[in-house]
Order: sequence, then structure tokens, then C-alpha cells
Amino acid sequence: MRLTVNGTPRELVSPPLTSLLAVLREELGVTSPKAGCQQGGCGACTVLIDGEPRRACLTPLAAVDGAAITTVEGLGDPTNLSPVQAAFDEHYAAQCGFCTSGFLMASHALIERGGGTSREDVIEALSGHVCRCTGYVKIVEAVNAAANGDVHAEETQADMGPQGEENISLIPGSPA
Amino acid sequence: MALASTEAPEVVAATSIDDAVSAFGDGEGVTVLAGGTILMVDLVHGRLAPERVLMLDKAQMAGVRTEGGRITIGAMTRVAELEDSVEPLATVARGVADPEIRAQATVGGNLCATPGAESPRGDLQAAFIALGAQVRSVGPGGERTEPVEDLLAAGPEGRLVLDVSFEPPQAGASAEVRRPHAHAYTILSVCGAIGVAGTRLAASGAGPRSVRLTSVEEALASGADAAAAAARALDDVSPADDALASAWYREQTLPVLVTRVLNDLG
Amino acid sequence: MKAVGARLPRYDGIAHVTGRTQYVDDVRVPGQLWVKALRSPHHHAAITHIDTAPAEALPGVHAVVTCADVPHNVYGHLEALGVPADEPLLADGQVRYKGQPIAAVAADSEAIALAALEAIDIRYEERPAVFDIRQGLDPGAPEIHHWGPVYPHFGPHNHRRVRKGDVEAAFDAADTIVEGVYRPQAIEHCPLETQVSLVVPEANGRLTIYSCTQAMYFSLGVVSAHLEWPLNKIKFVGGTVGGGFGGKVDTATETVCALLAIKSQKPVKWRFTREEEFLASSTRAPWHVEIKDAVSKEGWILGRRTLTLHDSGAYSRFSPYGLTKHAFHHTGAYTIPAVSFDGFVVYSNRVPTTAMRGFGVTSVSLAVETHLNRVAQVLGLDPLELRLKNANRIGDTTGNRVVMHDPSTVAVTLAAAERVGYELGDEYRDMTSERRTGELLPEHLAGQQAPEGEHLIVHSATTNGGH
Repeated sequence: MRLTVNGTPRELVSPPLTSLLAVLREELGVTSPKAGCQQGGCGACTVLIDGEPRRACLTPLAAVDGAAITTVEGLGDPTNLSPVQAAFDEHYAAQCGFCTSGFLMASHALIERGGGTSREDVIEALSGHVCRCTGYVKIVEAVNAAANGDVHAEETQADMGPQGEENISLIPGSPA
Repeated sequence: MALASTEAPEVVAATSIDDAVSAFGDGEGVTVLAGGTILMVDLVHGRLAPERVLMLDKAQMAGVRTEGGRITIGAMTRVAELEDSVEPLATVARGVADPEIRAQATVGGNLCATPGAESPRGDLQAAFIALGAQVRSVGPGGERTEPVEDLLAAGPEGRLVLDVSFEPPQAGASAEVRRPHAHAYTILSVCGAIGVAGTRLAASGAGPRSVRLTSVEEALASGADAAAAAARALDDVSPADDALASAWYREQTLPVLVTRVLNDLG
Repeated sequence: MKAVGARLPRYDGIAHVTGRTQYVDDVRVPGQLWVKALRSPHHHAAITHIDTAPAEALPGVHAVVTCADVPHNVYGHLEALGVPADEPLLADGQVRYKGQPIAAVAADSEAIALAALEAIDIRYEERPAVFDIRQGLDPGAPEIHHWGPVYPHFGPHNHRRVRKGDVEAAFDAADTIVEGVYRPQAIEHCPLETQVSLVVPEANGRLTIYSCTQAMYFSLGVVSAHLEWPLNKIKFVGGTVGGGFGGKVDTATETVCALLAIKSQKPVKWRFTREEEFLASSTRAPWHVEIKDAVSKEGWILGRRTLTLHDSGAYSRFSPYGLTKHAFHHTGAYTIPAVSFDGFVVYSNRVPTTAMRGFGVTSVSLAVETHLNRVAQVLGLDPLELRLKNANRIGDTTGNRVVMHDPSTVAVTLAAAERVGYELGDEYRDMTSERRTGELLPEHLAGQQAPEGEHLIVHSATTNGGH
């Protein structure tokens, strides 16, 4: 079986009914999608399959043979964040971070199809995603910000230079 | 729990309806994989050890078509595609899980869903029953077409559902009890529709599978008002306690939902 | 001090949004085995027979452990504080809650591990179970532990006690007595990351334990005690916890994995399924709190008698600690001069309960605040004014004889009232936290104030006004 994962073609040896989540995490070492429940109930495993957000834990490998899979690793990296990633960081939309990958993929897909500009739109589209830490407010704000183009990625991305007290990066605005 | 198998099952991917029907045969030893939202959970947790799995996602069994005033929905049609259908189907479809699940789950899988151990499932069943839908399936004895409620009563196990069809109703309505947050399981729901044969009603979540509320329909036909007819719903159901609600709670709320649906139908 | 009052980025934020944060389940070690546990299907039962040999014989199974493999099986989370233990790591002869782990298997795959569980030959004899702690205290209730229905180690008592002043006199002097019962229920922490650990046996005989624990040094001590290994042979690697909320202080998987790693000499990982997390992992405890207040018609709370039953589940774990915190706060943010508090840790055949945000305190706060509303309702008084009246002032002492130096009740209540536009009488709007003297000091509070400048009155038996 074959998949293209974040742009790279991969040949797989996992049996055909292995979940896509297990294929990604165990065979390919792509660990951003998480095993939150393995029942499709939490959204921590959501990845994009040919651009559409789906639960990797419920998807058998055989059903996606030949498909293009996108995970968080394919959205952006620390020195080059995608808008939705930068927005999540800027708005404190992640605390423990375990649900974040799933939220990011679903949010990215939502924004790509022109949605996410209102609170209601985000809540409906992300209704399958559970977060036990944040209370969701910051997540909705982050998605709205990314959808409305209100993101300051250049201020958010990782600074690979020397770090010192004088280099504490402060985010404009009053404390959250 | 079935002995967790360490042998990988044989997987057959059907490429056409005929291919699927032939591979299904009489269903003996065949486990059907439609959307996967129900089956994959059991596979991953080792609760099922199928010998032979028949995958349908490439069998060209999806699609909604309207012909001669009749709507036919292929068994592999995703639940999300019904969100703009007629009532009560549209509202019920929109209420199934969340957008990602709806895009993966299928009409056939929902119709044939094994009774949930902790919470009801198969929400679409009541909508189809209310619409007077006919379901076409193959299995032992060959192909047959029958009312959805008959297939459910006999048990869809051992049948391969091909499609469901119905005539659009004059009016459709639904009412439900669920916890007030997104992505909540339906505790109890009632669907109703007025068609050429009169008013049909069905309940979901008051038993292992959805049932037609024939006692309510008979009461209406003999002139009872909405409240009196609604009270008869308890004759048709056998709710159980589960993780979401008690049987008692469902018995209290079922007549209320029936009354609401009847009032909405006008 | 540039950071104070500024918006700082989370140091782990970029890792979170790029999928690079490493949780235990993301750690990759070659040759890692998967663990599954045999859990009791019964709420309460004797294990009449167990034979793990058939499981050990399955191809792909590398080790099976039971209580016989645990050097020190019964070890309590509070033993380091001198509090005796009652919970076995792996069940020994009996099970006291549905889901209690009895044996564990390490195998090449989850499927093989599950098959191995099926192969274990085990027989049970069911016993009657207790689910309602009120019934657990009845004579003739099914016995869960041989020493009785409650945790017995609170100094010389079998319950936590607070005594101050003369509660009987307060009830005699009361215009009205207001009673209430409050029963907050269990809550499942439900973190997105389930309980998980990965244990690697090192070539030099040490263990490396990747753990999701919230309390790494604590868990290190627990594992060390069960194994009877010195601390320096064990290395814990903590890191980002995928949500804990108090539920990841139980060291739920590390010790069993350590035993399997030692026995198999291979890395082993035990990751709870979501079902195990709901079924067998600990929850916040259910509580039963009865409050009886002696109240004057002006709204003074003259005295309070409290009875708390804490549902600890099958084993005590941290319950005595939670109950003690609960006892400390049983007067809330208010000064009540005469109190009698009795709190019992009661066993039931439910999953052992544990800490969860505000352990022990949220239950008593719910009870106290709801009760105050009830008092206000009975007396026909404004609930906020009732609170302001009885609020802690500087120099007041609590039921535990701690002296209040800087209580915030009045300031916070007034600020909250103003924020929401809540109308208060002038007398109340002018209240402060200042030490009450003269006309402002009500008679019933006169004796409980600490002398000016006194910091802490150390409790001794002879300073008690009652028993």
C-alpha cells in the first residue's frame, strides 16, 4: 500500500486494516496525531486525507491506499509557521498540547475552504474535537484570527539566535 | 470478548455493486466494512476477529438520485450528504456526531448498526422508518426489498444493504433529547412524516434499534388527539437503562417528543 | 522585571503547534513490547484460582506478572508521611473494585497481549458489594477491609476531627437551626492523554522510566518502594503531561511496567485505552456533607456541626489527605466560633478516588456556599450581606485556630458585587476586613479573636472548649 505523507511518497508494510493512526505513528514515526480515545470521539487523531479532515483512528489503511495525507508536520515548522499555527501560539490556544494537532488540521481545512471567520462556524466545524485544558475560548479566537488574516507570524516563530534576558520576546498587548 | 486474533483477516475490496454482492454471497463469515466508524473501533480494541472483510468504499454504492418522484440513496452514501435532504432526514443527519464522522459514516452502516452497548446508535433508522422507506438488500434467499422497520425487526445481520428509497413526504419533523452541547449522543428521538399513506412515526433510542410507533399511528387514525396518541407510544418501545439515561427517563420523555413532532407536522 | 505584567509566549507553544512536543507515547525505543492488564470484572470477589502459565506460553508473550512478582506489593502513596497502606499493586487473593488490575502481560503487539489475557486461567467467587457509603456504615454492611468500613488512622481517632468552642451552647442560643445535605459526585479527569509509561531496562541494570506523572519524584519513590530498589537505580524521564488535573499522581502504570521490563529485559509500554481510563483510572471522589448551623435571626452563624463522608473507593490512596484539607476549610471564608467537624474516609467497592483540582476543598466550598444561601433564604436575608456579616476579619481565628492576618473575603465580595451591579445596603458597602472592636464586634465572636499581634495559636487538648 502507498501513501504520500506531507508530500513524501511512502511504501507501507502494515496490514490493510491497520488504522491510519497506527500506520503514521508506529510504522512511519509521524507522531503528531495522537491516540486520545481510538473511538473517533475526541479528534486528537485528525489528519487531512486528500485535504479533508478525518479521524485517522477510524480509517483503515486499505481505504486510503494512494491518498495524500497531511499532518501538522506538513503545515509548518518552528521557523516557518503556517498562519493557523502562529495564531494558536499567539492566542494561547494550547496548554498541554495533546489535542492541538487534531484541532490544527481541522482548523486549517476549515480556513482553506473559506470558513472560520465567526465563532459559530468554528464551533460547528470543530465540534468533534475535545480539549480538557483550555475551555475552547482561546482556540476559537485563534481560528477566527487565522481565518481573518489577523496573525503576527513573524513575531511568533522560534528565534534560533542566542537567548539572554534582554532577548525575552514579549507579545504586544496586555496580559491574556 | 472474542479471542483477540493475531492473524490478519483477508480483505476483499469490491469494485462494483455486482462484485460486492458476489463477494458477500450468503454473508457467512463475511464482515462488511462500510465507513468504518463503528467497525474500526471493535477491530482496534480486539473485540472482533473477522476472517474475511468486505470493503465497500470503491464498490460504487454511493449517491443520491431522484427518479420518478422517488429518492434512492446508495448504502455507501456518507451521512454528510443527507444534511440537505428532506425532513426529518436532514435534521437527523446533521445531528449525527460531528462533521468529520459524518463525512466518513455511511447510510448503510447506520442502518445496520449493531445496538450500542452504552448508548443508542443508528439515528437515521427512525427517519427512514417515518419516511416509509424501503430497503433493498441481498443475502440468504437472494435480493429482497422491504420496509426498513421489517429489516430491523428481523435483524439486518447477514444482509448486505444496497440502497434505501422513499417518496418525499408532504411534511416531516423530528424532536430529540440530548445533552446540551455539541457532538452529543442522541438519548432519544422521534421522527414523523406525513405521506400518501398518512402519518408515520418512529422512535430511536428507546430500544436496541429504532421502531415504528404503530400504536400512536393507530390512535391517530381512530381520531385521538396528539396528546392521547402520544401516550400510546409506550406500547411500542422497550427502553433500557444505559450510560446516557434510564429507561424511566426515556418513558417520561417519549410521549413529549411524540407530541412535539405531531404538533410540528400540523 | 520586564516579564511581570507582560504577555510572554509559552516556552512550549511552538513545539505544541508544530507537533514536536514529545509525550510518553511518542518516545520510540527499538524492540518495545506492549502491555495489557487483566482487570477484575467484578466489583468485589475472592480470586479462587489463577494460573498465568497458559498466557506465558503464547508465542510473542515475553513476561507475565502477578502479585507474586512484586517485592513489596502493598505500598501506600502516603507511607512516606507515615500513613499505613492498604492497596496492593496487583490484586492478591481478592478484588475490591471492577477494573482492579490482577495480572499484566508484555507482548510483541497489543493483539497478542490481549490474547494472553484471555489465556489466563482465573476463577472468582463474587461477594456482595457496597456502592453507597451511607450504607457502608450500617452494621452488617458487606466487609471490604477487615479493619472496618472506614480508614482508621487519624491519630487516636478513626476520623478527622475539628473542635472549637461550645457547639451545644451555640445551638441552645440559636434562634433558628438550618440543616442541609450536599453530595457532589465523582468526576472523571478525562485528560486527552491516557495513563501511559514506557520503561527501558538499561544494560547496567538500571531502569529508565518515561512517565506521564504529574509528580516525578513522588512516583520515583513509589516505584522504588514497590521494587525495593534504591532510588539511584531508577531514572525517571518526565516531560509534557497531556493533561493530568490531579489524576496523574497515582503512579498508575510505572511500577507494573518496571516489573515487566525487569522480567522480560525488554522495553515495555503500557498505554491505557480510553475505556480503561474511564473504567479503572481514579476519579475525583463523591462526597456526602451534612451541615447544621446555629443561626441568630440577625444572620450571625453562632455554631456549626458538620459531618462529612468521603467515598474513597476500594482503597484509601490520598483520601485521608483530601479529607484533612476539606476539614481545614469547613467554615469557608467566614468566622464561626463554635465548630464540631467529623469527617470519615469510607470505603466502597468503587474505583479508588484521588486528587483533582482543589482536592478536598471544592467539595466543602460547594457545601458551605450552598448552605449559606439556604441560611439566607430561611432567614429572609440577602445572601451577600449574610456573607459580609460573617466574613473573616483580621484577628479572627479559624476552627483550626489559625489566626487571620489578611483575609480577603470582604474585599472580594464587595468588588464582585460592584462589578455586577449588585445593590448592597450602606452598612455592608462600608465594611472592611479591619479587626472588629467595640460595637462592631458581636458578642459571639468576642472570645475567638486572637490577642493583638498573635500569629498562631498552637493547638493543645486543653485549649479545647469542647470535644
